[in-house]
Amino acid sequence: MAERKKKKKHYGNVRPKSYRAIYEEKFYDILLQLRYPLMTVIFFTTMGVLILMILNNRSDGESVLNYFFHTVITFSTVGYTEGYQTDPSHLMLNRFFATIFIIIAVPFVYMYGLVTTVNVFMNSNIDEIYRYWRMYKAMEKLKGHYIICRFNGITKELMKNLRKRGIKYVLIEPDASLEKEIIEFGVEYYVIDEPHKRSVLLGVGIEQAKGVVTAFEENTQDLSVIVTARLIRPDKDSFMVFATATTEGAAEKMRLLGANEVIVPDVSVGRRMTSFVLHPPSPVLSGFLEKIAYGERTDMDIIEIRIEESSDLIGRRLKDIRMRQETGATVVAIVRADGKMKIAPSGDAQIKKGDSLIVLGHPKALKRVGEFFKQYKKEEVKTA
Amino acid sequence: MINWGKVWSDFFIFLALTSNVGFIFSHDPYQLVIAIGVNLLATVLKFGAKKILAAELLATALVADLHLIPATILYFMETHVPLAIGLAIGAAVANVISIVMLVIEIIFEYQKEEEI
Repeated sequence: MAERKKKKKHYGNVRPKSYRAIYEEKFYDILLQLRYPLMTVIFFTTMGVLILMILNNRSDGESVLNYFFHTVITFSTVGYTEGYQTDPSHLMLNRFFATIFIIIAVPFVYMYGLVTTVNVFMNSNIDEIYRYWRMYKAMEKLKGHYIICRFNGITKELMKNLRKRGIKYVLIEPDASLEKEIIEFGVEYYVIDEPHKRSVLLGVGIEQAKGVVTAFEENTQDLSVIVTARLIRPDKDSFMVFATATTEGAAEKMRLLGANEVIVPDVSVGRRMTSFVLHPPSPVLSGFLEKIAYGERTDMDIIEIRIEESSDLIGRRLKDIRMRQETGATVVAIVRADGKMKIAPSGDAQIKKGDSLIVLGHPKALKRVGEFFKQYKKEEVKTA
Repeated sequence: MINWGKVWSDFFIFLALTSNVGFIFSHDPYQLVIAIGVNLLATVLKFGAKKILAAELLATALVADLHLIPATILYFMETHVPLAIGLAIGAAVANVISIVMLVIEIIFEYQKEEEI
């Protein structure tokens, strides 16, 4: 019930576009093309059996099977008289019928029926339809994935890193001419469509997705995707929207309209260049934190743990909670409520109200950290 | 305006039922051959039809075929003939459902035309 209520939430009444159904319909279209060839085969087989039954005045099982066999071998041009050889009394009549039947049925069944069927199968590239159908069937089951709009340098880099981490994503690309490149790049799930349409976003599973990344070259297209996605999923915490903008002004608008983070590529690159100028590169340290922050290192990650106001961790010292011993991750900084950062805190540092802990460690250790803090939450519920 | 494509396809759907019922009462081998041929034709005619109840119509046609094919085999083997008749009655029921759905379909289409 709760799920149903949730589904009704998004504005308007737009049906999700079912990409699987499009390709199922294409299979169905092939059946449509087979309609007339199959009909001729069935019609002439029935007529052949019936007429042979009437001519020979026999309707026992053995004879009917013989007539069926005889009809099929006649229009497959394999044999001619086997079916009625056992009964010499009507031989001439049977021969006469067989002649007429061959003249009429063989062109229809053998030429038209067979040739059309082969033609349909040769021209309808079933394997291609099957490939799409399988992809979209799997896509419908995705949960907690990201939706990426536009296939370009930025999203290529993003997809490469997501793949390394095993995060699923669906690519939406409006330009059909890029499809070959997308396949070559090895994108697992993609649709060729306009990402600002509600039906398209619903069709790629925005209601189960974790977020959307839109990186168009034009701000207008990014804006329309952000607004559409935000109208369907209004909650900023459960659904992330990330975008690129060409200017700071556009970025500000995008943030106001619902984007969680907006990157201006020119500004970001400029800043990174500045950091190189100010901190001359060293072989070990160069870009160390950036590599962690950008997810280039798969063996190390950094997360932020927010201490809830009612948490019973407040007032305790870091060494007392024994987080490092239990999880293997380290608190590298504490961000206080007023925004001040305490870097490399000692074991005596106290956890205060409104704090955030910055934790560094192996991704597996960080998973344990999440569970470690959940434990405290549970205790808190119990005591309350 | 009369739609001749519809006459053609509806003709086979109705004929599938009538020939089927004919066999149930006559127990005649000729009638059975006609019934199975017409039923197969009616099935093929439902291929690729993009209507509201297309899937249900195709399903009922396939049900009728899967009743009639074993019925034919049993009848001509001359074993379990009453079972063959029973299967043919089953196929007739499927054909009746098919016609009921055809009528529903017609009503739907009629309403659609009015809306526009």
